[in-house]
Amino acid sequence: MEYFLQNFINALQWGSFYALIALGYSMVYSILMLFNFAHGDIFMIGAYIGFCIASLFILLFGGAAPGWLVLILTIIVSMFLTSLLGVLIEKIGYRPLRNAPRASAAITGLMIGIILETSNIAIFGTKRIAFPQLVETVTYNISGVFITNKKIIIVAISLFLMAGLHFFIEKTKWGMAMRAMSYDFLTVPLMGISLNVIAPLTFAIGSALAAAAGILYGLAYPVLDPYMGILLGWKAFVAAILGGRGSILGAALAGFLLGFIEIFTAMIFPSTLRDLIAYSIILIILTVRPHGFFGKAHSSSLRL
Amino acid sequence: MKPIIRFKKFFRFFSAMPALGWLFGFLTAVIIEYLIGDNIAWMLGLPKIPALFGFLIMLKKPLLIPGASAYIIIVYLLPLTLTARFCSGTINKIAAKLYKLPTPVYTVLYLIFLYIIIDIWAGISDYRIVTIKLTFIAIILTLSLNVINGYMGEFSCSHTGFMALGAYTASTVTLILCANDKLFGEALLPSYLAPFLFPIALIAGGIIAAIGSLLVAIPSFRTRGDYLAIISLAFMFIVKSLIENLEVLGGARGMGSQPHLANLPTVFIWTALSIWIINNFVTSIIGKATNAVRDNETAANAMTVNTRKTKIVTFMFAAFWAGIAGGLFAHVLCYVNPGTFGIKKLAEIFTMVYFGGLNSVVGSIIGAISFNLASEALRPLELFKWIIIPVIMILIMIYKPTGLVAFKEFNIKKILAPKGDK
Amino acid sequence: MTPLLKVENMTHFFGGLRAVHNYNLNLEKNKIQGLIGPNGAGKTTVFNLITGIFKPSEGSVKLDKEEITGLFPHQIASKGLGRTFQNLLLWRHLTVFDHIQIAHYSQINYGLIGSFFGTKKRRKQEAEIEESARRLMEIFDISDFANMLAVNLPYGAQRRVEMARAMAIKPKVLFLDEPTAGMTPEELIRMIQIIKNVRKEFNVAIFLIEHRLKFVMELCETIQTLVFGEVIAEGTPEQIQNNPQVIEAYLGKEDIT
Repeated sequence: MEYFLQNFINALQWGSFYALIALGYSMVYSILMLFNFAHGDIFMIGAYIGFCIASLFILLFGGAAPGWLVLILTIIVSMFLTSLLGVLIEKIGYRPLRNAPRASAAITGLMIGIILETSNIAIFGTKRIAFPQLVETVTYNISGVFITNKKIIIVAISLFLMAGLHFFIEKTKWGMAMRAMSYDFLTVPLMGISLNVIAPLTFAIGSALAAAAGILYGLAYPVLDPYMGILLGWKAFVAAILGGRGSILGAALAGFLLGFIEIFTAMIFPSTLRDLIAYSIILIILTVRPHGFFGKAHSSSLRL
Repeated sequence: MKPIIRFKKFFRFFSAMPALGWLFGFLTAVIIEYLIGDNIAWMLGLPKIPALFGFLIMLKKPLLIPGASAYIIIVYLLPLTLTARFCSGTINKIAAKLYKLPTPVYTVLYLIFLYIIIDIWAGISDYRIVTIKLTFIAIILTLSLNVINGYMGEFSCSHTGFMALGAYTASTVTLILCANDKLFGEALLPSYLAPFLFPIALIAGGIIAAIGSLLVAIPSFRTRGDYLAIISLAFMFIVKSLIENLEVLGGARGMGSQPHLANLPTVFIWTALSIWIINNFVTSIIGKATNAVRDNETAANAMTVNTRKTKIVTFMFAAFWAGIAGGLFAHVLCYVNPGTFGIKKLAEIFTMVYFGGLNSVVGSIIGAISFNLASEALRPLELFKWIIIPVIMILIMIYKPTGLVAFKEFNIKKILAPKGDK
Repeated sequence: MTPLLKVENMTHFFGGLRAVHNYNLNLEKNKIQGLIGPNGAGKTTVFNLITGIFKPSEGSVKLDKEEITGLFPHQIASKGLGRTFQNLLLWRHLTVFDHIQIAHYSQINYGLIGSFFGTKKRRKQEAEIEESARRLMEIFDISDFANMLAVNLPYGAQRRVEMARAMAIKPKVLFLDEPTAGMTPEELIRMIQIIKNVRKEFNVAIFLIEHRLKFVMELCETIQTLVFGEVIAEGTPEQIQNNPQVIEAYLGKEDIT
């Protein structure tokens, strides 16, 4: 039982990364009906920006500021900077392609991803980088289950961000505009909401969430490498699909689900089989339920 | 505008040159290079013959740019221009005579001619041989992916998975039967049988890949577009991590010491064969039915097209060729590991397909050749290569989303026809 | 005489909604029958049920005494049931010539070997198909557009391409779903001529959905009226024209006070 609970908490943490990244995929899809294939690399860039900001803060404040304050400041600043990156990508890469075939948007996304990755390697090199330890690790032992404060922070912050996103979408005017746009991006612009405002906003929010995921990842596994975007990004993408494309709630849940699948297969099988089993389960789920869990069954394809 | 017109006028005689003329021009060029290329290079102050039309040298040592350009002009452009200027009449007559032969006969003659040129050209250095082999393999890959993504219009991401299946199957067969290696021990057959066995190994790889493709083809009955993209992506990752976990096949460390069976003629023949068969397929009515499935499945169904069969056949056919390409790839590099068949390779194949042009055999050939040569030529730029290529690709997607030569039929007769004397 | 196409007691539900109820059809050889009805009456659903796009919840469809209920659409089509679509389902990237060639799909039997290697059999069959396609294009007056993309043609020509394509499968019965939708009066007259020609030349039975009563009255020998998935009247054009129920369905109930 303890063992199970222990893994449950690990899975919650692991799943929250996927969920945060998957949200970005899903949001962009719900507005523009295309997947931003560069999103995994935005996550990676977000982590690196977080690394820079954190190092800068540590340099500035030294030991004067408490760790959690630095962490929160880092998250806020890097979320902001990464969202600018997202807006830039939308503007340069996707806006000219809005009426183009969707396969070209997919290719463009892949290419932007490669550019981001390469520029990152050009700046930081291929070596892994240690993420600064902002928070002392404290381990709590609750009747045999070990919980570190980091895990609590990670899960709490990600849940907080998801709740914030939910609030934003459901309660604010901009959120309402986004929801309207996701129903129909041809007619809604006629009502005075410009797609050229909503689309960058979506990219900005998605990228900001990815950046938060990146920093939290750095907090949990304090090594950054330039290929982490590929590793986590693609799985999060799969989670977004699994949740039903364009479904925000579905993406978050499927992100956690994927985390659970991975952690619990690693519990039973050797960990090298993790990818194999996770992807096989996805293949089976999609073969049986071709539209994911929360997706609508409309078929729009990546057409020529 | 004016200089362009003048430029066009100056090179007008090129337009009167048939395909045969280009071949003759290149033949003289490569013979010159073969015989006195070293001397010319030495006189121009180059360390050795520029391996890839001088691009590498130019980018590495900018001081040598004049020398390298002079080399290109003397060795390649001059013979080509001279042939075009003075011999196109005679060559046109020869071409017209050849043209009267049955199509397969003169096609084969042209291919032999082309092979001779490539062989002489590649004979200069090992680097050229590897580059040209990989380019040929890229042609097979691009064509076969174009069959799924262009002709059938599914967005399939599983091509490197098919390739990996082919590569590993073919390698396993050749390693067991004709090589002494660490994984499978002594060779079972004497080594002189190996060249005959190699096609069988390749075909076995192709067939395994084709069978694997059923995992993607069958879900494609019910779903299209994004979901199929994910299914195929998942398939690719499954294949990759399956191989990583199979210690018999070397696991993540990879599989090495394949016998050197994929020499230039073998790769050339397989490439020619793949172009021929794929072109046959896409121009047949069974092949054109894939276009109908792409453009509107309901209408295709109502017009008696068996869409399920079409999807299965197309996937298996394309996967077969991807498997063949994988087998050749493994025997060219003599080493494969699961990491080779990842997202990056997939992005490369996508680039070649979408750069060259969807739904077009010519486009795929052009895309594969230009991408491979460009990526080799930009090698000295190291990292920046991976910024330049994506930027070019994005520009293409913005300004010509279906690629350079999309929706063109490949007509061997038209290409090889003699040019009329106007 | 047994009818060429016989539909018995066909009923279909979409979820809980009854789209078609107890539909019967007896289409005889060389006849033109019309199906009229207000919007949303389920006319196209009837077409889709017979051609196999949906499977009917109940009932049976027989073509030439052969049961075709529940077969795949392409199987039904190759048994001799050609159709056109209300919203013109042409293939975006294909030429007119390709359209008509592809519709010969069920008539080829050179198999995969033929398509891979270009055997003699394939060359022979494709030559035959090419000839047949050229003839069809001539009949439908689209030879001039042979190498143009079908979607770039004028609207009337697109309709003719669709009909030529449907005729290429060598059908015994031809279904036309609103063949004159969006046409100008001149094109309409031409279409009437074409449909008459088709019947004469190919000897097919034609079943059509149409809104324009003039067109239906002129062409059809019998007419069915479908309202809310049920046939409320069936008979000759004159009978239908004077049927009070039909008038009511189209114009609404007369309010007598």
